Amino acid sequence: MDGTLRRRNKWARPSLRARARPPKHRSPLGQAFSAVNLAAALMLQKCLACGRERYPSTEICGHCLSGDWLFAPVSGAGTLLATSALQHSLWEYFKRRILKQPWLICSVRLDSGPTVIAHLGDTSLSAGERVEVFSHRDVSLSAVMIAVAESEGLVQAERSACVSRLGLDEPAHREGGLQ
Amino acid sequence: MRDYRGVALVCPVSVPYARQSAHGAAWFIGGVLRELLERAGLSKQALDGFSVSSFSLAPDSAIALTQHLNLTPRWIDEVNLGGVSGLVSMRRAARAIQAGDAEVIACVGGDGAGHRSFEDTAANFSSWSIDASFPYGAGGPNAAFSLITAHYMERYGAQREDFARICLDQRYNANHYPNALLGHKTLTLSDYLDARPIAGPLHLFDCVMPCAGGEGFLVMTEEHARSLGLPWVRILAAEELHNAHAQDPIQYRGGWTEYKDRLYDTAGLGPTEIDCLQTYDDYPVISLMQMEDLGFCQKGEGPQFVNETDMRFDHSGAGARKLPHNTCGGQLSCGQAGSAAGFLGLTEALRQLTGTAGAHQVAEAKSALVSGYGMINYDRGLCSAAALLMAGDA
Repeated sequence: MDGTLRRRNKWARPSLRARARPPKHRSPLGQAFSAVNLAAALMLQKCLACGRERYPSTEICGHCLSGDWLFAPVSGAGTLLATSALQHSLWEYFKRRILKQPWLICSVRLDSGPTVIAHLGDTSLSAGERVEVFSHRDVSLSAVMIAVAESEGLVQAERSACVSRLGLDEPAHREGGLQ
Repeated sequence: MRDYRGVALVCPVSVPYARQSAHGAAWFIGGVLRELLERAGLSKQALDGFSVSSFSLAPDSAIALTQHLNLTPRWIDEVNLGGVSGLVSMRRAARAIQAGDAEVIACVGGDGAGHRSFEDTAANFSSWSIDASFPYGAGGPNAAFSLITAHYMERYGAQREDFARICLDQRYNANHYPNALLGHKTLTLSDYLDARPIAGPLHLFDCVMPCAGGEGFLVMTEEHARSLGLPWVRILAAEELHNAHAQDPIQYRGGWTEYKDRLYDTAGLGPTEIDCLQTYDDYPVISLMQMEDLGFCQKGEGPQFVNETDMRFDHSGAGARKLPHNTCGGQLSCGQAGSAAGFLGLTEALRQLTGTAGAHQVAEAKSALVSGYGMINYDRGLCSAAALLMAGDA
C-alpha cells in the first residue's frame, strides 16, 4: 500500500475524529486547478492552439491534441442537466452531512462546452434552467464547483456566503463528543 | 470485418461470489482457471493463451499470474475494461485462435472484495473522478448514475415501476441460480419501491452490490472443442465502440446504436429471433438503454417495452412478449464482482447455449445476445460491446 492510499484510508475511515472534511486528494493538475482558482471566480484550462476551454483538467486538448494551455478566467454560464439528492456516501464528511439532510449535486453543461459536476447551491433549480457555475475553496482548501441560479456578476462575498450556506467552509463535526 | 468462423467458446465457469473475502483477485482467477481445465480435461501445458481482467490485481498483473500459477502462455492479454472486459477479451482471443497465435485461451475475470476495498476503487478510479466527481460526495458511480437516471426519467417519462420490472424479473431468475448472492431472497414491488433511498431516483435495489468472485471460459477451434467432446458456442457477430456520442451533454444512449444494424446483418438474425438477452445491468436504466439501442424497441420506448415483456427465464411472467433477460439474475441479484461482472452475461449466455444452466435453463435456447457497458471515467460509461452467439451444434 503506497503512502497516498494509506493517507486516503485514514481520511476515509469512519472514525472518532471530531472533524471530517471533504476529499482533499487531487491529481497534480487538479491541485493546479485548486491553486489558480483561489483568486478567481472560475478559471478553466484554455487551449492555446484552438482556444477551447476544458474541464476536468487534462494535459492534452481533447479537440486538437495540442499540449499548450493556460488557466484563464472564463464565464461559468451554463444549463442545468440534472440534479440529484445524495442519501449515501462513502466519505465521512458527506456521511455526516447526509445524516441531517440529503446532499444536493448537479451536472451542468457550460456554454463553452465542458460538463461540470457541482454542488447545487440553489435548491429551487431544476433541469433545463440557466445556471452560473463558480469555484470556491472548501474546508479542505481545494477548489470545488458550485452551481447557482444565473445572475450578473456574483461578487466574492456572495460566493463565500453561498459556500457558508452549504456548510462547505466548515468541517462536519462528530455528534455526541469523543469517546 | 472478417467473421469469427471456426472459433468455439466452451466451459463457462463461475466461482461462487462472496460479499467480502479475505482472498485476493488471484485466488478467484486461479479458482476459475482450475475449474476450466478440469471441465475441459486439459492440462496446464495445453493452455497456451491467457487473458485476465481485474480491478484489484495491482500491484500484480497478468504476467505476475503466469509465475504464480506456473503457466507458459505464448499469447497473453490483460483487459481492464470493467463491464466490457468479457466481450473484449473474447473478441481478441477469437482473433488469436483464428490466426493460430494460440490453441487454447483462457479468458478470466476475477476480483477480490476486501473490507472496504470498494471505497479505494471508487476514490481512485480515474484522474477525472479524483478531480471532478469524487469530491462532490459521490459514493462510487451512484451519483453519476443518479444524474443519468434522473435525466432519462424526465426525458422519456420513465417511472420507478418500469425499472422495477427489470429488477423483479431478474430476482425471480436469481431465485433459480444457486450462485446468486441475493438469490435466496425474493423481491416484491413494494420491497423495491419502499427501499432505502441512495441517490436521487436510485434506491437500494437499483444499485449493484460490490462483491468478490470470478468468471471465465475457454476459447479454441471448433475441431478442438469437438475432439474434446465439449458443447460449444459460436460467435455470429461481435462489435465494440468506445466513447461514442461524446457530444451528448448527458448520457442517454451508448455505442450500440452505431453498430447494431451491422451486428444483426452479419449474424443474419434479428432482435425478435433471439432466445435470451444478457445486458450489463449495473443500474436498471442501463439495461433499458441497451434494449433500446440494440433495437428491441425504439429510443424512449424502453419503459413500455419492459412492461409488455416477460423477462423470466421460464416464460412464467405476465408479459405477452417473451424475452428471457439476465437469466441468472444479473449483477443486480448476483452481485458485482469487479471485472468478473463484465463476464457474467457472457458466461451465463454460454451456460444457456450449451444447455448446462441447470435450474434456470431457458428451454431450447439456441441464440443469445450479450451486451456490455462500462468504465465511468467521469460522468458516463465509455465502453460498449455486444455479441450474437449461437449454440455450436444448432
